[in-house]
Amino acid sequence: MNEELDSQLSAMFDDELPTAECELLARRLSRDEQLKARWGRYAVVGAVIRAERGVRLNAPLAGRISAVLLAEPSLESIPTAALRRPGMRWWQPLAASGLAAGVAAVSVLWLRTQAPVSAPVTAQLAPASGLHVGALLPARAAGSAQGDSYVVPPTPQIVPVVVPSTELANYVVAHSMFSSPVARRNLLSAFMTSEPAAAPPEEAQSDAKKAAR
Amino acid sequence: MSADVSDLSLVRRVQRGDKGAFDALVLKYQHKLVKLVMRYVRNPAEAEDIAQEAFIKAYRALPQFRGDSAFYTWLYRIAINTAKNAVVSRDRSPIEYDLDRHHSDESYDLQGRMKDSETPEGLVLTDEIRTTVNAAIDALPEDLRTAIVLRELEGLSYEEIAAAMDCPVGTVRSRIFRAREAIDRRLREVFEGGLGRAEELG
Amino acid sequence: MPRKLRASGRLCSLALAVAVSGGALADEVARAPAQWLERMNQALNTRNYDGTFSHWHGGQVEMLRIIHRVQDGTVSERLASLDGSGREFIRTGASLACYLPDKRTVLVEQRPAQESLVGFPTVNDQTANFYDVREVGRTRLNRRDTHIITVSPKDEYRYGYRLWIDDTTAMPLKTQLCDPHGRVIEQIVFANLTLPARIPDSAFRPEVSTDGFQWLRNGALPPGPQAASLAWNAMRLPPGFRMTVRSAQVLPGSATPVDHLVFTDGFASVSVFVEVQQGQAQPSAVAQSAAVGSSSAYSTVIDGHKITAVGEVPPATVQFIATQVKAQDPAAGAAAPRR
Repeated sequence: MNEELDSQLSAMFDDELPTAECELLARRLSRDEQLKARWGRYAVVGAVIRAERGVRLNAPLAGRISAVLLAEPSLESIPTAALRRPGMRWWQPLAASGLAAGVAAVSVLWLRTQAPVSAPVTAQLAPASGLHVGALLPARAAGSAQGDSYVVPPTPQIVPVVVPSTELANYVVAHSMFSSPVARRNLLSAFMTSEPAAAPPEEAQSDAKKAAR
Repeated sequence: MSADVSDLSLVRRVQRGDKGAFDALVLKYQHKLVKLVMRYVRNPAEAEDIAQEAFIKAYRALPQFRGDSAFYTWLYRIAINTAKNAVVSRDRSPIEYDLDRHHSDESYDLQGRMKDSETPEGLVLTDEIRTTVNAAIDALPEDLRTAIVLRELEGLSYEEIAAAMDCPVGTVRSRIFRAREAIDRRLREVFEGGLGRAEELG
Repeated sequence: MPRKLRASGRLCSLALAVAVSGGALADEVARAPAQWLERMNQALNTRNYDGTFSHWHGGQVEMLRIIHRVQDGTVSERLASLDGSGREFIRTGASLACYLPDKRTVLVEQRPAQESLVGFPTVNDQTANFYDVREVGRTRLNRRDTHIITVSPKDEYRYGYRLWIDDTTAMPLKTQLCDPHGRVIEQIVFANLTLPARIPDSAFRPEVSTDGFQWLRNGALPPGPQAASLAWNAMRLPPGFRMTVRSAQVLPGSATPVDHLVFTDGFASVSVFVEVQQGQAQPSAVAQSAAVGSSSAYSTVIDGHKITAVGEVPPATVQFIATQVKAQDPAAGAAAPRR
């Protein structure tokens, strides 16, 4: 075996090979069964050193997957979604015509990266004219309503668009302080584990990429 | 933090239609993924099935992988979700964890550290592999052994290892490579010796 | 008079006693489930605990860890996702921080030092008008003796709960959130739980390193009267909801102050946030709906203000409340003029 090549393989396995060489070696690795076998044995060595007990070190897993992939369509015809659609909205409508009230929406939470506000806020609350300190309009006294005078709103025609999510994250956290303990735990748990439904808008994407590297 | 360049070059090849590049990703991460899945299912064969499913899902989802996170992080999440869904659909839903100890101080623990749930078949060879590798590592000169252990066990980068061992980065790369060479010489025999002994059929 | 019902045999004899002695004991028996809820809330708010639980919603399960401590009157809390996202929520006293490693961001919100406890939902006699609270049985859950308490909503504005409450500690070992039709839409089950006497400060530090993260903190409120100059309220509310808190703050990452109103029916609560609409609202897309787990959010623009309602209620309820919010101007007797 070419020692220089194997040395590069070892470095690439550790993600310590410069990009250009990685690209070349990746091409070679994908085609060279012996190189691939060596690469696979490097992984076995790592597994042994980490004492990953219980895991089969000679499993035919890789071979099985390779066989399954033979039947899969190759990916070159599929455009990589986010990179090809710059105007994409943050999350997809759940139905063609919009969200129906009562349909449990997909958990959506995605931060729009923006410059932190460090300067003291000087904006005035507006509009100030015409509004005074007033007595609260009394809400319907608890227990007095039979409920029949409140009309459940009809299914709204919502255009499901961008949720300004930095605000949503803030709202969730601020609200959580006023939930019952059980509800709070539900809410924050969901918040901790929610995933974005689709690609973020362009500026967040490039910010995220910058931040990630 | 790793720049993930190696995985990304392979990922890009897969996205452009090169399935062989995906094999390399599988080979690299299969043990880690099976180990991860075994948090949810203890049977190794079942864990392998789930890991297989996770890899296939990852392959199909690869067009949507943007590189915002490291490839392995993304793969890891797919594996967890696949494992959980497999368990949920297998058992009654939703998941309930059984507790098997009851303490009077109002505490109770999650059942079982993950035991070596060894099944007799298929693991004899695993033992042989493990023994071979461990023996080879023990036989290494100390600087080579230290380098590869810091890399594989502690996950240190070459630069970090260079600092730890007080030598240039190039030396680290060379030591790790030579360690692997030495181990691989012995390991190859197990894998290639006698009609593909180490690779089970089917 | 027994404060707790311990065994079914005793329940039977109590039932007989009820028949004989009449009203007072009957009230006692009837109140017991609500008392369990109070005990549970008490335990969750005041005890130290450390546990791992599974959170199930929408067919997906995640594991999380929660650590909670009350020490010298200060509450510390940490909620961490154990499954990949690495997100953590850490509260130390009045400071709330959300660590979001997948977004490389930390949100820090400083709450007012004296947060009014009036805002927390409390189960009381009024609650019975909108929820049916019952103990439906006892069961051993994970070898612990638990009371199964159901909280069933009487209308479609709210969710219901089933709670498995530990007989000794009053901790909710299992919690189900149900829609008004009784379907379980969210569940939390503890896999392990301890109630330690002491929890060190180190338990409340985030696991993730925040190098290179952006920090979003809430800013200071502008000087002068603000919340006082705006009397926002909901013109109508679903039955049983009343306002309990009104405050103003500047949220992290935002430049504008926000009014925060809280409405509760004693069990569920809904926050309404009102702020001046920044920029031009798209005329065709003002209403926005979202969900975080089973909680609902609804946002709309009214009279140049963005109004967002968030709460652990069905989507229609937040929408209803949000669209009912108006600024009061008692002098003019009309809603705020258009900007």
